[in-house]
Amino acid sequence: MNGLSRQLNVIDYSLSSLWRRRFKSVSVMVVFAAVIFLLASFQMTTKALTQTASRLLVMAPEITIQKMRAGRQEPIPVAYREKLAGIFGIRRITPRVWGYYFNETHAANLTVIGVDPRLMPLGEKLAAAIDTGRLPGDHEVVLGQGAEELLGENRMISLFRPDLSLKPLTVVGRFRPATDLLTYDTLFLPPDDARDLFSLPPELATDLCVTVANPSEVDTIAKKIAALLPGTRVLTRSQIEKTYHAVFGWRSGFASVCLLTALTSFIIFAWDKASGLTPEERREIGILKIVGWQTADVILLRFWEGVIVALLSFVAGYTLAYIHVAFFDAGLFRPIMLGWSVLHPRLRLSPGVEVGDVLLVLCLTVVPYLAATVVPAWRAAIIRADSALN
Amino acid sequence: MTALIELSNVDKTYNQGQVNEVRALKGINLEIAAGSMVCLQGSSGSGKSTLLAIIGCVFPPTSGRAAIAGKQLSRLPDRFLTLHRRASIGFIFQRFNLLPELTVQDNITLPLMPLGVGPRERRERAARLMERLGIGHRAGFPARQISGGELQRVAIARALINDPPIILADEPTAHLDHALSLAFMEIMGELHRDGKTIILTSHDQLITGHPAVERLIGLNDGMLHVP
Repeated sequence: MNGLSRQLNVIDYSLSSLWRRRFKSVSVMVVFAAVIFLLASFQMTTKALTQTASRLLVMAPEITIQKMRAGRQEPIPVAYREKLAGIFGIRRITPRVWGYYFNETHAANLTVIGVDPRLMPLGEKLAAAIDTGRLPGDHEVVLGQGAEELLGENRMISLFRPDLSLKPLTVVGRFRPATDLLTYDTLFLPPDDARDLFSLPPELATDLCVTVANPSEVDTIAKKIAALLPGTRVLTRSQIEKTYHAVFGWRSGFASVCLLTALTSFIIFAWDKASGLTPEERREIGILKIVGWQTADVILLRFWEGVIVALLSFVAGYTLAYIHVAFFDAGLFRPIMLGWSVLHPRLRLSPGVEVGDVLLVLCLTVVPYLAATVVPAWRAAIIRADSALN
Repeated sequence: MTALIELSNVDKTYNQGQVNEVRALKGINLEIAAGSMVCLQGSSGSGKSTLLAIIGCVFPPTSGRAAIAGKQLSRLPDRFLTLHRRASIGFIFQRFNLLPELTVQDNITLPLMPLGVGPRERRERAARLMERLGIGHRAGFPARQISGGELQRVAIARALINDPPIILADEPTAHLDHALSLAFMEIMGELHRDGKTIILTSHDQLITGHPAVERLIGLNDGMLHVP
């Protein structure tokens, strides 16, 4: 009980001591909170993006087959479907036509996807991804949020074919903002219209989407397809998901390395602040010791000061990071995480905070800070009591 | 009377072995009885404050034997000196050594904090002392906002908060006017009557000639002499 009372008394004194030196305390806390804010923001953004990607990729085909030549993708013959007819477990093979349409006015690339949603897995989910309107029929198109902003909210749009003739399309819908990560710059239309836009012959498609009967057999079927169709690249949904994770992870990792430099600078700053005792601070410690505080009591005092500063900074930095990601969609780091492009997805991020993530940031920030202030605390604590004598 | 403080052949040398070595005390032999009131008298640099610091367990002597309340302190590590100091000694300094930003009450209760005394008991003990010393109305004032005489009484209250048997006061009236010095000696006289052992250092006639002071001990160049 006495030990607990002693701890509470020292915490009480630490709080009053921090308040008395509030300019110094606040300056350390502001810098520390900023470092924690940056680190936690990156962590939350990465997590929110990978989670969003995983959630949205549910709509992606289980297996995608692309034809390759000299390491580049080229149109795939639709007739390849017959070659795969013998693989047990394939439910459906749907040709997909997609590519990029360069909008010269805005110098931006739009992604054109031509697919029949009725033949796609989870076609009904695709319909659910449409915010206003319906799935496109012949000569109709559904736009992503960014594409709509770029092309204007017209009912009719006209796009150039390769021979510069115009192809008119009627806008019948717009994708939900929640799907922005995948659909922001998208023009979604029937495959025949996409073929017409790209002047692609009817016997060719950009890739083939494979639906399987049993999801646990995806990898086995993918291997069989790869064996039957040499010269193709067979991608499973999980591989695409892993690629997303790797890209976001790499970008986040790169940013984290940069931030660790900032953290190191802060630790040096913290060390410097903790080491540089003013004459008033030296006198105060001398007085404390002469009235009966032991070296251990003074170390405890400095320790609690450090803990209070670190925890307050941590709570402030982490809360600000949450607000930044949840309410401002990580506006500061969006270009780094999503890549620089003319059309930038404005997806809503929902940061999931887990104990492990919080502990990781805590270990990366609070622990080094406390470690950096231990030695200065001890050096302060061994100031002799007689320094308070006249 | 039994000796509460016993010093035998005590030497204190600062910066030993260095070019700026100073022998502050030389072969001090001294006994001070429990409950007495003693004044160490001497000019500036004579070693009064060093002798007071050794008696006050601030640091040990370089050589010789120092025993306070039967405890041999000469070779105790700093940790035990602190424990002994907080149990037995109350200090009053020439410049009061209060923390100006802390309130009067917080300054007074400072020695109780590492002992784990709860806030309520701290407040009560401080209130009793402040009442006795006539500074109860200043409890919530920051120390920087009160007068010199009040500061002195806050310093006395802080020295008494642990109810130590020994009170040490280093040049306590050096920054006080005549009236405040008299008031201070009145309080010391009261504490003496309460049974405290009081050791003052001063060259102020008002202290050295005060009727409550039972014994004058002269110091000159680190050595005792009869004043």
